[in-house]
Amino acid sequence: MRLHPLTSLAAAGSTAVITTAAASWPVSLTVIAAAVGLSFAQGAARRMLPAAAVILVPLVLSLLALHGLFFPEGTTVLAQWGPARVTAQGLQFALERAAQLSAAVLVLLLGSFTVSVPDLVAVLSTRGVNARFAFVLASTLTLLPAISSRLERIRQAQEARGLVIRPGIPGRVAAFRWQAVPLLLSLVEEAGTRAAALQARGFGSAGPITSYRQVLDSPVQRWARVVLLLAALAAIVFRLWQPTAGA
Amino acid sequence: MVQTPPPALAAGIEKFVFPGETEPVLAGISLTLVPGSLTAVLGGSGSGKSTLGRLLAGWLLPGDGGTLTGFFELAGTTVRFTGTAADPQIDPGRWGRQVGFVPQDPAGALSTVRVTVAEELAFGLENAGVDRASMAGAVRDTAALTGLAHLLDRDPATLSGGQLRRLAIGCAVIQRPAVLVMDEPFASLDTDGAEVLAALVRNLAQDGTAVVIMSQRAEPFLHTADTWLVLTGGTVAATGTPAEIVAAGALEMAGVIRPRPLTVARPRAGVDYQSAVNGPTALELRDVSFTYRRTRRRGWFKSQPGPPADPVLHGLSLTLDAGEILAVTGPNASGKSTLLRHLNGLLQPTAGSVLVQGRNIGGHPAGQVSRDVGLLFQQPRDQLFERTVEREVRFGLGRDGLAADQAVQRALAAVGLDHLAGRHPAELPASQQRLLALATVLARRPSVLALDEPTVSLDGPGLDRLDRVVRSTTADGNAVVLVTHDLDYARSIAHRLVCLEAGRLRGI
Amino acid sequence: MSSLTLPPQTPATARNRRLLEVLGAVAIAGTYIYLVLNQPADITGGPGSASALIALSGFLVGAVLLIIGVLPTLPVSTLVLIPVALVLNIVLGQFVGSTLVPFYLDAIGTVLIAVLAGPAAGAATGALSSIIWSFFNPTVLPFAAGAALIGCLAGLAARYGLFRRFYLAPVAGFLTGIVGGVVSAPVAAFVFGGTSGLATGAIVSAFRSMGDSLLAAITKQALISDPMDKAIVFTLVAVLVYALPRRTRLQFPFVRQYRVLAGTASNHPGNQPTGHSTGQDA
Repeated sequence: MRLHPLTSLAAAGSTAVITTAAASWPVSLTVIAAAVGLSFAQGAARRMLPAAAVILVPLVLSLLALHGLFFPEGTTVLAQWGPARVTAQGLQFALERAAQLSAAVLVLLLGSFTVSVPDLVAVLSTRGVNARFAFVLASTLTLLPAISSRLERIRQAQEARGLVIRPGIPGRVAAFRWQAVPLLLSLVEEAGTRAAALQARGFGSAGPITSYRQVLDSPVQRWARVVLLLAALAAIVFRLWQPTAGA
Repeated sequence: MVQTPPPALAAGIEKFVFPGETEPVLAGISLTLVPGSLTAVLGGSGSGKSTLGRLLAGWLLPGDGGTLTGFFELAGTTVRFTGTAADPQIDPGRWGRQVGFVPQDPAGALSTVRVTVAEELAFGLENAGVDRASMAGAVRDTAALTGLAHLLDRDPATLSGGQLRRLAIGCAVIQRPAVLVMDEPFASLDTDGAEVLAALVRNLAQDGTAVVIMSQRAEPFLHTADTWLVLTGGTVAATGTPAEIVAAGALEMAGVIRPRPLTVARPRAGVDYQSAVNGPTALELRDVSFTYRRTRRRGWFKSQPGPPADPVLHGLSLTLDAGEILAVTGPNASGKSTLLRHLNGLLQPTAGSVLVQGRNIGGHPAGQVSRDVGLLFQQPRDQLFERTVEREVRFGLGRDGLAADQAVQRALAAVGLDHLAGRHPAELPASQQRLLALATVLARRPSVLALDEPTVSLDGPGLDRLDRVVRSTTADGNAVVLVTHDLDYARSIAHRLVCLEAGRLRGI
Repeated sequence: MSSLTLPPQTPATARNRRLLEVLGAVAIAGTYIYLVLNQPADITGGPGSASALIALSGFLVGAVLLIIGVLPTLPVSTLVLIPVALVLNIVLGQFVGSTLVPFYLDAIGTVLIAVLAGPAAGAATGALSSIIWSFFNPTVLPFAAGAALIGCLAGLAARYGLFRRFYLAPVAGFLTGIVGGVVSAPVAAFVFGGTSGLATGAIVSAFRSMGDSLLAAITKQALISDPMDKAIVFTLVAVLVYALPRRTRLQFPFVRQYRVLAGTASNHPGNQPTGHSTGQDA
């Protein structure tokens, strides 16, 4: 059975919050393992894991280099080269933070990669602010993949006109202008047409909105969403009330 | 006394001015649309047709969109505008239920937030709060009317041009408006597509919809219209029945294209034609084959269409002599544009070679080859990025000021834009944008001119200019290759005609 | 009037929305002040998750309130531009983020909207940009408040004429970058314990090696990167908006009303009435 889009998002969001609030090694590692496992089970791993790697590899490396080498607060020095001191506290800080962040990133990506965006848009569309937010979300996701093919078309048209991109920064800046101006112009002009089209089709008018797409929901899922949100809130409150517990 | 039925829409536009401008775009226009009638608004590029259409349909709103003096009468209500801040504000949603509009670029009418054709059709109903059962019925009926019934579950982004236009029409008529306005619906449709569209328009008119079609070509179908309104410079040049207008000769004066049977001698056809000019070989294709590498992209929101299905070339050989005009025709997706991209190195053949003036261009970037081969794409806007027409043509002409000045002057004069040198390219009407793109290529004096669908979006004067440029450039000893779906045009101008079908060339 | 025209606006709804905007701004400012006042004890002691949660929830709640307040007030013509801006942000941001340059260039779209449609639209675009981008990259989510601030400041700069002269745009960008950097630094420090890029990380390392606290080091890094970054972004946006045709620029009421760009108040003498439609007419 497919989850209601809000249920998936609520699950991902509150897991991320609870993991951050828990701030403990075992919890973070469990969440990481669970997220990776679920991504395989859902068949999203092939798209999700590369995306996660692109985000997490530089982040983790940056944390390790930063705190592993420079942690002035560290006391247990493991090695030292000039100003760089490898300290146990620094490494621990870096690894703990890396695990916690990886858990949050993976679980949120799992949420966004498994949610059915058309369903999410349909669910959000039926109410005021949400309808506008849903429009921005869906329209961005539609335009995004189209951009690269459009840029390629513009580049070809300009090369055919005799524009050669020179190497070096000035060349790149010039190329940015050649390509960005037609791109922006066509996007802005299209947006103008789209605005008129949307308004003529009643988008943005007051009044009730219905949905053609049917998204299945169940009382169990409705309850689950409430429980998940309450759990996340409870985790935040607990952490703020006892800032150092578990540290 | 005979009671005349109330008009579906009546408009009296004394004056309409865009923000920050002083000269009106439209002036002195009055029209009355009777239910079930077909009206054609004809005019050249920049005559104000699109502006009029968008204004009638509530796509261009008096107030923010410009200053209007005049009135509209729609659904028994008269709305008056005096061009002041106290004017009423049109509610575009409610207006849109009475007047549907199909823009020239049908993709622009899509919401971009619906993943199937059925949901896209239902978008307007959703916003009107229609319940699901009635929506399903309306979607079914509209799909049947517009021939989309078998496409209801498709992603709108994967539709072809003709299907997209039918979808845009479906979106415009699903709420059963009294009036339907269409901007250049026949542009770039082939004969079959045009016939489907004509039948659809006839059905709508029979159901009582008042249909208005904006066009710069007096298509054969438009001769069945009840009324023609000919626009020049934003005002009515002539109005009456098609026969009256044709008799008065108003079309030619307004720059409207009148397709007519060809009387020019047929060009000599065939792949192995010997040029009469007997010049040296300008361009040679030796056994060129090409296959696209397979790329598959998956979008986030929905699957994206890959490149059009396998436009491949199979062992093409072709020589083009200096001073020769070659036309390449063929059905859609037969590889015409792919062939053209080989001529300047944008695509490199997977086998065989392309020679320009006897030199193999393999491995040379397109930017360099373009000195010899000027290629003009279908979308002129992709090629234009400067602030003025003059700077646009001058761009990349080198530092020699005097020579560059002369080249710019010559190129602009050749396409007849010299009086617009200070204008912003993006503000020119489409026809002039194409001519400007042509001028940017001409200024570099290429020995081969390659044109992709050059007639699309050109109006009458624009076509004349194109003809003159093509003939004078070949008279100077340069060669021209043009790709077009317009067989009549190809016959009228080319020395030689070849047909590209499924990646293979054959003579006609 | 008839049902085909709109009724005049009611002031009551406008007041409620203004209240939400103010609440959003207060949430963001309060969170920042709390974090800066409480920082030293937390960061080295434990995993600092209380601060992380405060930074996350305070900034996020503020950003969401801003969106709820602003989004319904935007005309549809501005709303359809927001996805365009987001696409520009994401495409450039992903590209630059993957290179070894200590800049981000992920605010071009936001600043563009701010210049064309004003501070409120800019703020909403900035916040939306972070929230929607987090669909692909959750690490940008905590920076929503900073992005909203950048959009708002860019809009104010445009409103008070800093885009009328070309050389003022980078100056405005530089100043905006200082504010934006200072506000975003606590997020980087408390939520990430560093920066998410390698190049920016190297700069933080340099300050840490001199014995700075983490927040101080990250704030200094932000003060190096952000003003430069925003100066570049504002300049690029100025290049782009001045390349737009007059009629396109003037279709935005904000640009007309506050004379945001040079030469938009009077008519060009060269503007003849020959072709009166946009490129779509044919």
